[in-house]
Amino acid sequence: MEHEASSFESSEMLANHVASSPLLSESWRLCCDITTAASPSIPGQSFVMKQVGSIGYVAFSSIISEAEAGICCCNGNLVALDDQFFSPLNKQINEGEEEPVLVHAGFLRLFFSIYDSPSFQTQMMEIIQKSKSIVITGHSIRATTASLSTLWLLSHLQKSNSPSLPILCITFGSPLLGNESLSRAILRERWDGNFCQVVSKHDIMPRLLFVPPLHFINQLKFLLNFWHLSMTSPQFQTLATQLNNEEKAEIFRSVMACLEVLAQAEEAGSETRAFWPFGSYFFCSEEGAICMENATSVIKMMHLMLMTGSPCASIEDHLKYGDYIGKISYQFLKQRNSVDGDIPESCYEAGVALALQSSAISSQEPVSTAAKDCLKMARRMGRTPNLNVADLAIKLSMINPYRAQIEWYKACCDDSDEQMGYYDSFKLRGVSKRDSKVNMNRIMLGKFWDGVIDKLENNDLPHDFHRRSKWVNASQFYMLLVEPLDIAEYYRNGLHRSKGHYVKHGRPRRYEIFERWWKERRVSDKENNKRSRLASSTQDSCFWAELEEARECLDNVRSESDPNKLDLLWQNINNFEKYAVGLVESKQVSKDVLARNSSYVSWVDDLRELRSQLWQFSVKVPTLVNGKLVP
Amino acid sequence: MASERLGEVISMKEEVIKKACSIAMKAHKLPEKQLYLVEKNRGSSDVIFSFPGSWTISDWFSRSPFGEKMIDPHPPQFASLRSIGNDQVATVNEAFLTRFQAILPQLQNEVVKAVAERKQIVFTGHSSAGPIAVLMTVWFLENWENFIKSDPSTSRMPPICVTFGSPLVGDFIINHALRRESWSHYFIHFVMRYDIVPRVLLAPLSSLEPELKTILDFLNPKCTIHIQEPTREASALYVTVMSNASSVASHAACHLMGNTNKLSDTLLSFIELSPYRPFGTYVFCTGDRELVVMKNPDAVLQILFYSSQLSSEVEGPEIALRSVKDHFNYQSELQNLETKGVAHFDNLEGLPLSSNVGAAGLGLVLNNLGLSTRARLCLCAAGELEKQKRRNQDKINKKKTDIEKGLLALEGYKTRCEAGRVSYYDALKLSKDTDDFNANVRRLELAGIFDEIMEMLKRYELPDEFEGHREWINIGTRYRRIVEPLDIANYYRHLKNEDTGPYMKRGRPKRYRYTQRWLEYALKISAGSSGESCFWARIEDLCLRTINMGLFEDVKEEILSLEKQVEKWVQNRELGDDIFFEDSTFVKWWKKLPQQHRSGSCISKFINN
Repeated sequence: MEHEASSFESSEMLANHVASSPLLSESWRLCCDITTAASPSIPGQSFVMKQVGSIGYVAFSSIISEAEAGICCCNGNLVALDDQFFSPLNKQINEGEEEPVLVHAGFLRLFFSIYDSPSFQTQMMEIIQKSKSIVITGHSIRATTASLSTLWLLSHLQKSNSPSLPILCITFGSPLLGNESLSRAILRERWDGNFCQVVSKHDIMPRLLFVPPLHFINQLKFLLNFWHLSMTSPQFQTLATQLNNEEKAEIFRSVMACLEVLAQAEEAGSETRAFWPFGSYFFCSEEGAICMENATSVIKMMHLMLMTGSPCASIEDHLKYGDYIGKISYQFLKQRNSVDGDIPESCYEAGVALALQSSAISSQEPVSTAAKDCLKMARRMGRTPNLNVADLAIKLSMINPYRAQIEWYKACCDDSDEQMGYYDSFKLRGVSKRDSKVNMNRIMLGKFWDGVIDKLENNDLPHDFHRRSKWVNASQFYMLLVEPLDIAEYYRNGLHRSKGHYVKHGRPRRYEIFERWWKERRVSDKENNKRSRLASSTQDSCFWAELEEARECLDNVRSESDPNKLDLLWQNINNFEKYAVGLVESKQVSKDVLARNSSYVSWVDDLRELRSQLWQFSVKVPTLVNGKLVP
Repeated sequence: MASERLGEVISMKEEVIKKACSIAMKAHKLPEKQLYLVEKNRGSSDVIFSFPGSWTISDWFSRSPFGEKMIDPHPPQFASLRSIGNDQVATVNEAFLTRFQAILPQLQNEVVKAVAERKQIVFTGHSSAGPIAVLMTVWFLENWENFIKSDPSTSRMPPICVTFGSPLVGDFIINHALRRESWSHYFIHFVMRYDIVPRVLLAPLSSLEPELKTILDFLNPKCTIHIQEPTREASALYVTVMSNASSVASHAACHLMGNTNKLSDTLLSFIELSPYRPFGTYVFCTGDRELVVMKNPDAVLQILFYSSQLSSEVEGPEIALRSVKDHFNYQSELQNLETKGVAHFDNLEGLPLSSNVGAAGLGLVLNNLGLSTRARLCLCAAGELEKQKRRNQDKINKKKTDIEKGLLALEGYKTRCEAGRVSYYDALKLSKDTDDFNANVRRLELAGIFDEIMEMLKRYELPDEFEGHREWINIGTRYRRIVEPLDIANYYRHLKNEDTGPYMKRGRPKRYRYTQRWLEYALKISAGSSGESCFWARIEDLCLRTINMGLFEDVKEEILSLEKQVEKWVQNRELGDDIFFEDSTFVKWWKKLPQQHRSGSCISKFINN
């Protein structure tokens, strides 16, 4: 609580920062220019690319053809993103456990209709070459084309490994685009900071897709038609086939009802939620703007702001971005002192009061309490991951000595006269103080890392945590050193007899996760993997588990009579042998594997013996004699 | 608050301030060729140096967008203007620096003479002469020790720098460095509430070039052509400067307020954000009867923006014109300096947040400076960050005992190893005994503490003074000398060089790079000359290279220079003589060098043959 009291509310400050740049007004101006100039039926004419200073702007027309409007209205289902264009987004942390990344089918088709037009890609490549940074922008339905173009461009740049070109997507009144997995994938790629979604206080469009699709197909067509006519020829606005007041109220009510359910569901509801916001939301009103990024808070704020509106206002607001942007862009000139009521004494509360003022929610309004809570939650959700990761870093350095003790234990076993290696020593350990100490350390390290994973899965850590090299390296280091002990403990207690073998049935989940992190890490320059000496730790942490399985096979071979089964056993033995020799030859195993009395060496001996008994070929197995590798 | 006088708050006589102001204004009228003005009054103890301003735009912006330049570290004219551990050199406005360098040679002797006469040195400047006065003062401070050394009877009175309506001079490192050196309080900047000039460098050249040109012509006291009041240009300039000031201030405030949204980082690639930041003590004149004194540079930046905001749209054109005209109002503003109320903010706690009319005391002063509730929240955040930095320092000061314990343990380890005629480097590399293991754990524990400190330094989360504390420099040096060899031993023990690369290039942690820079800076010795703690890494590297290449001639130069350094380090006791034990990695390697080389080597005397 003390922390809370001394902190500050920054959502309004960030909005000020955005608003004092020319980015919003420039983007809006280009959107308007192309909207009035474009002919909606030709895809090649519904965008414009223009350089302003060193920034390349790509703007899409707000107008879509009637056919396109039909596509959008009738294809409200969610579809997967094409791997060819958006591959980074499809890589998930827990493959199969999460819903795949999905987007609105109609919007995706709309994007491809422009993407496939011959001039789009050439012009895009041209402007990328010329500009130091790129802004992609769009209003209304076409805002989703801007978002998809941005996602495509980010994916494209990542794939082509080109020097990072800063990209910013600014949308005005964009409908929702994809599901929660899309939102997560964007966070994971650290692309969330590349999206600024400008949403006005009452605009219905960004909220519309919270209602299950297919609900309003016809009304939606009317709405689009009304908006289009208003944008292209305001003088004929009244001629548009308007929805009657009842229909408007019906839409308003449904959106409100769905938002209410979502807003109340708190974090991580159980039901699958179709559409979900991503990126930063720039909520604007006639009084100012605030900026938030936590999706749950964004939904709440959308709900609260809509509650202060009316059916008519919610439809007209979609056309008012020009007014809002114009006003907000010059707000920096004025002191803006008028806040109703008293200013709270705490800095934090005062900041919240000002943020509410900028959201045009007066402190007298019934929603103001909920809005305050929403801002507080957003701040908490924004800060917690960073605080947690800093906390974990300190904890990690505190448990490092435990890891060092295990390292030391390994080194002692490696050098001891018993020549058993730490795997076998630990498996056959007695009751000495040293052994129990090592066991304690093993358990404590396991607890620490399980805690890390718990936090990550509860969303209490930054979404790109598993991409940060500090953590990828630390977890890998831990796994290589300690997993053999976990395996030893497993077989020592005979758990393989009750539960099945370790790799399939006993491996703690943390190791599977760490292995995936390690495999997916970005390696800048290909490492030189040639080793001059044996590795400090065996590079496959499951080596000993594989050995245990191979040993069981070897034991069974002697008593097995069924030729089919026997065949299978030999196949397993040969596979392991090949795998192990490969590791040994590339020096990817550590010294302990080749220790004179290690279970690997005795397995090799047993195998040789068996083979000679069976009049088979003998195999060459390198062993360690006087510290040197000899065949 | 009201009872204090400005002179007491900033420990400087009001008389001197007023005199400096009038001389600063007088300097503008100097004939073209005269680059500075000296004012010595008989019987007075101070000498005031002032400089004429320049009114051509290229003397403000050397190029687009902001005309800043990194200070050249060679020759080190401004050796202190850097962040030590981070090895980050300050950036200053190139045009001002060029002008300073043109004036310095002519002025130098006069300053030295005044110092010899035991005078109080005052550098002053109005407008673009302000930065010249600032750079002169920094130059003086950099050479102060030399002045005293060459003539011990000279004045030890610190110099004073007073500027009036000065544009900003350099980036945040200037403030960081001046505070570290405890020089910050020698700099006093007077700024009128609306004066545009102190804010003008917050905007990029391209955004304001034509307007600024007209305004500078209008301001030029020597301009003979009568120019009409530039109402249109003033308005355009005002809006441009304010919008850019808003960008800079809101970006800084996002940081102060602990914003975590990545959007603000993304924006940096899309907007041109001025690098210039304030430093020293600012005295803001409300234009009424009050002065506001502020030392926190983050707060000053916020005030520079917020105090110029309009209270209503209608006053726009009037304020815009005033923002130009106020630039020449310092003399009249300071006339009755003694009667002005002074509000000074040593800490920014408990600031009244409400900007309601009818406030009294501090609230009224802040109202008169035009600081809205939003502005005051930014000031609070600036104060909070300063406090947080102090708390961080307290936190790490508490770790001194742990560090001491760890160092003692490792020194004991070293001694025990030496008793067995083994260097502790080789002992840890082999790690045969429990003692070796315990030493490794100690190493890791200390690394945890020091890594935390380095992370804070990297992010500027410690007070600026931290890297100037003698005690921490000593702790850091002792730590580095005793523990770094163990890090190197561990590195090569685990063959990390094969995965990562040589220790010196790829593996050396910040905790040693930073602490080495601390010492080298404190002793004013060249970078890299205190590399004794990486001795073993260089040996390991040479071992590998001499095996692989076999050609002595290729590494001869390097070996010779290393040997020379070793001789010096050992003689100065910066490096222990345990490296010369018979079986040490070093001796074993050295003995394999050609006989001819060894017999002539400067370190052969240390080694048993």
